[in-house]
Amino acid sequence: MAHDTATTAEDIKAVPVRRYGRWAVAVVVSVFVASLLYSAARNERFKWDVVGDYLFSGRVMDGLWLTLWLSTVAVVIGVILGTLLAVMRLSSNPVLSTISLVYIWFFRGTPVLVQLIGWAFIGALYPQISFGVPFGGPDLISGSGNDIITPITAAILGLGLNLAAYQSEIVRAGLLSVDEGQVEAGKALGLTGSQTMRRIVLPQAMRVIIPPTGNQAIDMLKTSSLVSVIAVSDLLYSVQLIYGQNYQQIPLLVVACIWYLFFTTLLSIGQYYLERHFAKGNVRTLPPTPLQRIRARTSGMRFGASGGGGGAGA
Amino acid sequence: MSTTDQRHQGTGGTAAEAPMVLAEGVHKRFGLNEVLKGIDMTVNRGEVVCLLGPSGSGKSTFLRCINHLEPINRGRITVDGQIVGYREKEGRLHELPEKVAVQQRADIGMVFQRFNLFAHKTALDNITEAPVLVRGIARKDAEKRALELLDRVGLGDRGKAYPSQLSGGQQQRVAIARALAMDPKLMLFDEPTSALDPELVGDVLDVMRDLAKAGMTMVVVTHEIGFAREVGDRVVFMDEGVVVESGPPSQVLDAPQETRTRTFLSKVL
Repeated sequence: MAHDTATTAEDIKAVPVRRYGRWAVAVVVSVFVASLLYSAARNERFKWDVVGDYLFSGRVMDGLWLTLWLSTVAVVIGVILGTLLAVMRLSSNPVLSTISLVYIWFFRGTPVLVQLIGWAFIGALYPQISFGVPFGGPDLISGSGNDIITPITAAILGLGLNLAAYQSEIVRAGLLSVDEGQVEAGKALGLTGSQTMRRIVLPQAMRVIIPPTGNQAIDMLKTSSLVSVIAVSDLLYSVQLIYGQNYQQIPLLVVACIWYLFFTTLLSIGQYYLERHFAKGNVRTLPPTPLQRIRARTSGMRFGASGGGGGAGA
Repeated sequence: MSTTDQRHQGTGGTAAEAPMVLAEGVHKRFGLNEVLKGIDMTVNRGEVVCLLGPSGSGKSTFLRCINHLEPINRGRITVDGQIVGYREKEGRLHELPEKVAVQQRADIGMVFQRFNLFAHKTALDNITEAPVLVRGIARKDAEKRALELLDRVGLGDRGKAYPSQLSGGQQQRVAIARALAMDPKLMLFDEPTSALDPELVGDVLDVMRDLAKAGMTMVVVTHEIGFAREVGDRVVFMDEGVVVESGPPSQVLDAPQETRTRTFLSKVL
């Protein structure tokens, strides 16, 4: 029959199910969000002009810069030390695994705020710090505790060492997620334990490690604001100093939040592409990036072709 | 300690005379569970030995003991005249340091039931990884060799594919190529076709058949009775951690002496 051939010889162009509920919810939420934005924009107590004045002011920029590099250094320390701790924890060497266990027990078991203050006031516990040959040998570095551990050093140590404890558990979960057969194959080919770890297990564990690590990096950007208690002038501490003088608490906190949001957004985007990179070999075809998707859609509209053209991009 | 010293130990012969694999009284326990209860076995150079037996008979465990993936609890295994995993000094066994143990394994190829290709590497990179890392071969040369090997297993055009983009049979053939890239003197196959769809088994068995013809010494744990009959020089039937019967396929498969062998064969044939 003509009717049959018409439907089977061509691609299906079915009429989609009308999703009225979806539309209704979308409308309600849009109205709600619009009214929220409207009220925020019209509410003079937000003082958007003050927000604008301070958003790029020198002191805020200085604080932002410190927050950014402090978080970066803390994350780098956390990731490197955390990976090391995870490998130690899973090692067959009982000395290494015990060291790792005790480290995690301590640094995960005490509040990061206390750890920060502890590092900052280490001079009270050890007025004189020296590194050198133990049991009375010559000193290589020595000085007063307060000189060696400045507030910035304390902030780096406090944040980085604490993150390492959490990060090691993330890495350990990733390492355990890799199939035992991969290790056996490496061994059977004559790879050493450390070669198998570096070349075979860790790269595959990254797929599991990256999402929670992105989480930690985003968290660190905000947790770094705790360093204001040890008088390190990060972003939050800088705006606190400003509103301590001009009493414009809300606009200045909005300034800080805008910057935190901006950089957490950047981190999320970075995480997305990192995940794609390490998904290699685990999915048959990588899903298109948002950019590729937009391109495919616009070119589809322009040329009337259906989307999904394998346009290489980004 | 020189290698020649080790080769003279245990077997009493030189490397050239020694069988490729010599197992004497091998016991293996997992906790209280004794999986191998005194295995004696000889695999001569160029010989293809097929290990048959019901699941849980210890055949896979024994295979894994040959390249020291599992350390044994009693007895001794030598490969090419060298004790596997240990060296003997003044009547005592000393564990080999990792660097030496690794070299021993590098000479023994192994193919797994679940392929175990490195999931994050292409077929080509799977093959070149160990030659470059362990043997220190230049990447260019390793890649050239890898392409030849891929050709040999009938996958010359799939070098850039990731394991997830290959069928089970193709993955297993890449795994064989990967093992061959190390120029092993012995190949161990652990149920290489058990995880494959029936129509893919043939391709893998063909590759193994060619390998046997080329003179490779092979120990194959398998359920493929037809393959054992055709390619195997000797069939060893294992049950409950002991060797029940061994001999040429025509004897063990067609005229088994032991009732356990007969019962097993009646179930699988």
